[in-house]
Amino acid sequence: MTVTDVSAPRPGVKRFIGVDFDFGALKNASPRYWAFVSLLGVLLMLGGTAWANALAHGGVVMAMRDNYPWGLWFTNYMYYVGLAAGGLVVYASVHLFGAEQFRPLARIAVLQAGVLVMMALLGIVTDMERPWRAVWMLLTPNPTSPFIYTGSAANLYMIICFVDLWILITGKGGEKLAHRMTLIALPLAIYLHTTTAFVLSMNKSREMWHSAVMVPIFLTSATASGVALLLISAYILRRLGVVELTASMFRSLSTLLATVMIIDLFLLLVEILSVFWPTSAMPGHTVRLALFFNSPYAWAFIPVLVLGIGAFSLLAPRGTRHLPAIQITASSMYVVAVFLKRYSLMAMGFAINPLGQYTPPYLPSAVEIFLALGILALGLLIMTVASKVLPLRMPAHDPHEGHSHGVAEPAAEPALASGVVAP
Amino acid sequence: MSKNKKPARGSTPPAPEKGYTLSRRRFLEGLGGAAGVLAAGTIPAFASTLPNTTESGTESSVAPGGENVLERIIEEDGAINYPGKPVYYADPAGKEKWAMVIDVKACIGCRRCVYACVKENNIGRDSGFTYIQVLEMEPGSVDVESSVLDYGEGGDPDKWYMPVQCMQCAKPTCVYGCPVKATWKEPDGIVVIDYDKCIACRNCMVTCPYFARHFNWTEPSIPANEVNPKVPYKEKAGVVEKCTFCIQRTRNGATTACTEACPVGARKFGDLNDPESDVSILLKTRRVFRFKEELGNEPMIWYVG
Repeated sequence: MTVTDVSAPRPGVKRFIGVDFDFGALKNASPRYWAFVSLLGVLLMLGGTAWANALAHGGVVMAMRDNYPWGLWFTNYMYYVGLAAGGLVVYASVHLFGAEQFRPLARIAVLQAGVLVMMALLGIVTDMERPWRAVWMLLTPNPTSPFIYTGSAANLYMIICFVDLWILITGKGGEKLAHRMTLIALPLAIYLHTTTAFVLSMNKSREMWHSAVMVPIFLTSATASGVALLLISAYILRRLGVVELTASMFRSLSTLLATVMIIDLFLLLVEILSVFWPTSAMPGHTVRLALFFNSPYAWAFIPVLVLGIGAFSLLAPRGTRHLPAIQITASSMYVVAVFLKRYSLMAMGFAINPLGQYTPPYLPSAVEIFLALGILALGLLIMTVASKVLPLRMPAHDPHEGHSHGVAEPAAEPALASGVVAP
Repeated sequence: MSKNKKPARGSTPPAPEKGYTLSRRRFLEGLGGAAGVLAAGTIPAFASTLPNTTESGTESSVAPGGENVLERIIEEDGAINYPGKPVYYADPAGKEKWAMVIDVKACIGCRRCVYACVKENNIGRDSGFTYIQVLEMEPGSVDVESSVLDYGEGGDPDKWYMPVQCMQCAKPTCVYGCPVKATWKEPDGIVVIDYDKCIACRNCMVTCPYFARHFNWTEPSIPANEVNPKVPYKEKAGVVEKCTFCIQRTRNGATTACTEACPVGARKFGDLNDPESDVSILLKTRRVFRFKEELGNEPMIWYVG
């Protein structure tokens, strides 16, 4: 295949800002595709209704209260921002470390990162009682607030991801500009996760979060869950025939994933150990972290350990690491584990308030769940439509020639594509 | 927390009383001092890195650095992020430095301060929070982790009670944490919130170690004949609010509603700049402590036992 595959004028292709949007592919899409899109549309409408409800009635329709001032939206903010990391790490490793095997993933990785950060920011906007007041963040920013840093970093990161995608698709500036963009984007990604961790860790009022290890944990959890999600979406997009990827690429991705996973688990165990060790245990901290194990939050946290260690054990043996089933199972386990970790970390920091009063677990209300589902549906919708409309296939520099021949058009039917691509 | 009579210069710090372990803090202060020497290489630098914040602020309680603790706190208790315009429902700040002293030995846990505060400050009757939270403590320790907030009406003579509200900290983490400067410290030390600017991110509630800030999850509702016209009411929907030392009263020479309501006189409110005020005399003559002093927020409410 060549560049002309995606850039040659075909019916339904509209060229806009130098990108060929293949709207014709939507016309040929299968009923299954449209069924999925309409399901997402329904979820999106439910989310919109939930938001209207929240704006009309205020925070009382949420399950958050003074004891739990942040809820599902903040869990999702941390989670989505973290998931976005993986994409960038993979994209950057192509340019910075010459990991050519990841090159076919570059466009998907960057698109996914941008969409995820957009979802994270939408979570904040939909939580605000008066979203228009967000303009004060620009007019009178307070430099001592971590919110300023993580908020601006997320916005900047989202913009950079979409600019990056545009550069990758149009090829403007060539390899040199793509390389330079990584030099901006990678430090910015680290900065984003660090400042997100600061939102929790920079609070001497909340013993459970007040630990410097939060920053590296955020970085590793972000990278591990992000790479895991990228691996899953790469499998999905390969099956749908949007991109063609080699088994060796998946194997490299799995090795990277296993490495980050074990560092992530290690940091978590270090934190738990230093909280409970007799010479370091401080009552305010131990009673809060003990909730991990002796309160209803154990239902959220024990699975973090089980899924995390389980996922690593699946990927650790070299002999079976190349099996798609193993890779997909381990990745899914870790993506779930990191969500539960974010949720329990957030909610448990609040479970005992600074005056020592315990409140039962925070469980999101229907409005919060529909809001989150709506945002998720929007993200998936963008990815679903983009997989048809945008030229996500990396055209050149593919060293694995053998695998890139004879593959269906990007716009091909899923059934046909998977028939050709699936090994 | 400390012996208020002439600790000899250069002697070891007075031993902390039960319930407050300050040895780690001392150690860290020592580290800070050592770092100061390394950084500045001068003896004055060494002295200035040893703020003796645990002293009670008596005239004789002179920190190793030679400064009066109370003077330093009064000095620090100034405007932070002050936008230059006073809150619209109160007079501009004067020269005072407001502070409160609460006598936990006298407090009987009757919660009359809580009720008076709710009425005075237009707190929604079904908003689910109060500015003042009275903690019921077991004898033998100052341990909030085992304290009870929802104890039975009237209080138990075998327990002791510690009312907690916004401490109007000299180093307020809430003001530092607000991303949009919607909350600030007035020149007289009162921490206030601009209800028309708050973006409802609730970060201040997370950063406050005293759980003093509360969010209006629902629109506040008050019976029409009980609304206090001097205090904002409907504009508090969907924003954070907190104790303001009754700014609408105290700036006009009155005392706070909670001080007025206390049947046992456990609360004293006044101006630290006035050496004859109740609070100044109490801080000079009594042994006092501050809640969570180890966090370094420099709260402006002292407790005396």
